[in-house]
Amino acid sequence: MGAILLCVVLFGAAAAATLSNMSVQLPPALWLDALAGPDIGDMRQVLVHYAFLPRLAVSLLSGAALGLAGTVLQQVLRNPLASPETVGVSAGAYLALALATLLAPSLLAYGREWVALAGAFTALAAVFALSWHKGLSPLSVVLAGLVVSLYAGAIGAALVVLRHEWLASLFIWGAGSLGQQDWSTTLWLLPRLGAAALLIGLMVRPLTLLGLDDEGARSLGVPLGLYRFAGLAAAVALIAFVVAAVGVIGFVGLAAATLARIGGARRLGQQLVMAPLIGASLLWAADQGVQVATGPQGDLLPTGAMTALLGAPLLLWLLPRLALGLETPALGSQHLPRAGRSGLVLAAIGGLLLLLLALALLYAPGPHGWTFASGDQLQPLLSWRLPRVCAALAAGAMLALAGLMMQRLTGNPMASPEVLGISAGAALGMMVALFSLADAGRSVQTVAATIGAFAALLVTLAIGRRAAYAPERLLLAGVALTALFDALILVLTATGDPRAMLLLNWLTGSTYGVDAGSAFFTSTVALCLFLASPLFMRWLDMLPLGSAAVQSLGVNLRATRLLVLLMVAALTAASTLVVGPLTFIGLMAPHLARRLGLSRALPQAIGAVLVGALIMVCADWIGRTAIFPRQIPAGIVATLIGGPVLMWLLRRS
Amino acid sequence: MGRSRPEFANRHAKLETDQQTSPAGTGYRSRGWMTRRGALALFGLPLAAIMSRPAEAKPLRIICLDDGLAETLLMLGVTPVAVADREVWEKWVVEPPLPPEVADIGTILEPNLEFLQQLRPDIILSIPYLDGIKPQLERVAPVTTIGIYTPDGQPYRRAIEATRQLATLVGREREGEALIAATETYFSDVRRQLALLSARPVYIVNFLDPRNVRVYGEKSLFQAVFDRIGIRNAWTGETNYWGFATVGIDGLATSDDARLAYLEPLPEGAGSTLTESPVWNAMPFVRNRSIMRLPPVLMFGTLPSASRFARLLAEALTAERAGG
Repeated sequence: MGAILLCVVLFGAAAAATLSNMSVQLPPALWLDALAGPDIGDMRQVLVHYAFLPRLAVSLLSGAALGLAGTVLQQVLRNPLASPETVGVSAGAYLALALATLLAPSLLAYGREWVALAGAFTALAAVFALSWHKGLSPLSVVLAGLVVSLYAGAIGAALVVLRHEWLASLFIWGAGSLGQQDWSTTLWLLPRLGAAALLIGLMVRPLTLLGLDDEGARSLGVPLGLYRFAGLAAAVALIAFVVAAVGVIGFVGLAAATLARIGGARRLGQQLVMAPLIGASLLWAADQGVQVATGPQGDLLPTGAMTALLGAPLLLWLLPRLALGLETPALGSQHLPRAGRSGLVLAAIGGLLLLLLALALLYAPGPHGWTFASGDQLQPLLSWRLPRVCAALAAGAMLALAGLMMQRLTGNPMASPEVLGISAGAALGMMVALFSLADAGRSVQTVAATIGAFAALLVTLAIGRRAAYAPERLLLAGVALTALFDALILVLTATGDPRAMLLLNWLTGSTYGVDAGSAFFTSTVALCLFLASPLFMRWLDMLPLGSAAVQSLGVNLRATRLLVLLMVAALTAASTLVVGPLTFIGLMAPHLARRLGLSRALPQAIGAVLVGALIMVCADWIGRTAIFPRQIPAGIVATLIGGPVLMWLLRRS
Repeated sequence: MGRSRPEFANRHAKLETDQQTSPAGTGYRSRGWMTRRGALALFGLPLAAIMSRPAEAKPLRIICLDDGLAETLLMLGVTPVAVADREVWEKWVVEPPLPPEVADIGTILEPNLEFLQQLRPDIILSIPYLDGIKPQLERVAPVTTIGIYTPDGQPYRRAIEATRQLATLVGREREGEALIAATETYFSDVRRQLALLSARPVYIVNFLDPRNVRVYGEKSLFQAVFDRIGIRNAWTGETNYWGFATVGIDGLATSDDARLAYLEPLPEGAGSTLTESPVWNAMPFVRNRSIMRLPPVLMFGTLPSASRFARLLAEALTAERAGG
């Protein structure tokens, strides 16, 4: 069986690295002494007994817990994309810790793990509240989880940007550092993980039935809601304990569960055994690898970020071999109201946008409180505000169009440039320019970001080609690319390189650096792309009907999909440069347009573009004025105001 | 950064020539660019000329984006109009105290440009780290960039140069030279005072969390102070461009007789976690009880921070000897 073979290979590599690492620290003759009772006078023995060995134990425990949690999540949610990020738990824990560090440091004295745990369960509660009325259906849970996760992540990023001097330690924790100084973390984790694992062990049969469709399971008399709740709670507890103890090590759960399935563990019982073994070996091997690279006890190449760096390409490579037995629900399956007159709706949004534009340009606080700019002040103030507002408007509009195209192309409501890894690719290109070239101006950055976006797109396309660009493959590839990028960012920020702070500032979507030249550039690109977009509308109307229907209409499916994806890449690269890759305008704006009753491609596209522009202009205005003279990056504000709107709409439907 | 100093000198020289050739000085009045020497020269001018330019008697309106440069300005007796991240001062810089009238213009990476313009500065002091926003700053007022932390890694020498540069800018050259001389003299005094205590090397660290520290070494301001007061730095490993390395605390076990000095502020909870940690308790400096807690010192500062560090370290070393 492939899974067992994989496990043996990983296990062997990890064991070899461990022996090598340990002999660097301490001659093998002293190993037994160090294990049984170290000589306190010999620092080498102390380090092996209280740092090296507990770290090894924690890596095994955490890896196994994450593998188990990933499998249960994927089973319960019936979604191969499910991971600690998808249910918002990691972001919730991270946010709680960041908030406690800034606002109530005394809470941390009780133990940072409890703070993180509270955050994780709060995030889960929010996800449940949002998806409860739909009986915790797989799609609604994942969608709510994604929203909660992005939302918590945005607040966390805002805190880091605004108060970075206090949060250096959060970087290390956030990136998943496994470093230990005694056995307390191991002893803390052991009973908690054991209890959650036991609960899962008792539920193997009902969990298996959850993999069937709802009607099938119900006809067997299984209380679906109860077992879904219990399964999710157990999985989230596992993740929360790990996050609380060692930080965010997100990729192991997804990788282990997927690898177990690819490796041939078909029945849930097998997967529940294989995934923890693979997860443990994976994290163990990664952690020992990090120590080989950085020397004994190297703490500052964070293992959690390194697992993602290693795990993401592995998943990309394995994706074509993945048999996806699970169907992602299509966008068309939802019944939404249709507006009788889409023109009226569009005019209303347009009017609102104009009103907001006037406010954003004229009304803001100054040294003497809130004022309308007028007279002598008008010209100098506009010279600061106009470029930022223009750039925000253009970027919001482009992201919205890109998101609409992705959602119609893939038929998946979770699709957006952010989720597909194109934003991450653009950001990666910009990052390479920033770190490798001494003086990277805006034009160099633009070129680098565009190359990055297209490179990400090419990777996604290469993986999607075998399956004729099937939506699930594209999404999984995108998630893997995004994880890769996040890992790089985490590694960079944890090294404390001051340039990482500049990068983080940009990543959060600040319009601060926009001047007249770049605003003109962005607006021109946006205008050109919008002028080309009517050519796509017929295809966008057809694509959600499914590939068979499209081909029967005489359309070349491959060529169409390729063209749409190229357009998406161009839109994303141009907008990412201005507002960073973190906004979820691309995800949100098409949904909002749809909920307003715009269902055909063209009206929905115009609506989404207007809504995207509206949110982004509003975000920029709030960001510039809310905590004057400080500023909140527009990308973060967009997430903060867009998130609740989307949640409200999700609940209402 | 290598460029900014000569550039500055040229601009300055040019302004002084302007002043001599055109007493009315209308060419630069719009920016109110003025030096003290220039102001003194003006007293010799006819009364009418002074009456027509009342603004020039006022001191230079300086906005300072770097705390290190701001502390030197304050020591020269000049108060900047505004600084970035004001509330950081009391936690990380402490002295000299920042007068209450100094405005806060937002974060260092994104100072509020509209606010900046409304403060009507004559000059903005910046550092190479902020070169990314220099084009925006230049639209408000002339920007002078002064680098203390640069790839050549000589922050102390650069801090002296910066002191002279700032002193010339505000027309207080005498005060500038006095500050440099006083700092050097103070270091010699401390060196004599610590002669008997300097045998053992010292680690100087900031705690990031209970497991990890920033340890300062080569290319740091603290290293320069160590060299001048005759203390050996226990950390001889590599450091980055800002003069520190980030390591786990067990990375500090390389020297058997080293002492450890850690700077406040301490992250919440770090103290109690440390006292329970077996690795921490096995560290040589813990077993020797050679640990010193120092109040905050700006690690990326200039001469005032260097003196403050020397004073606090000397006090701690003396107290440790008295206690031990």
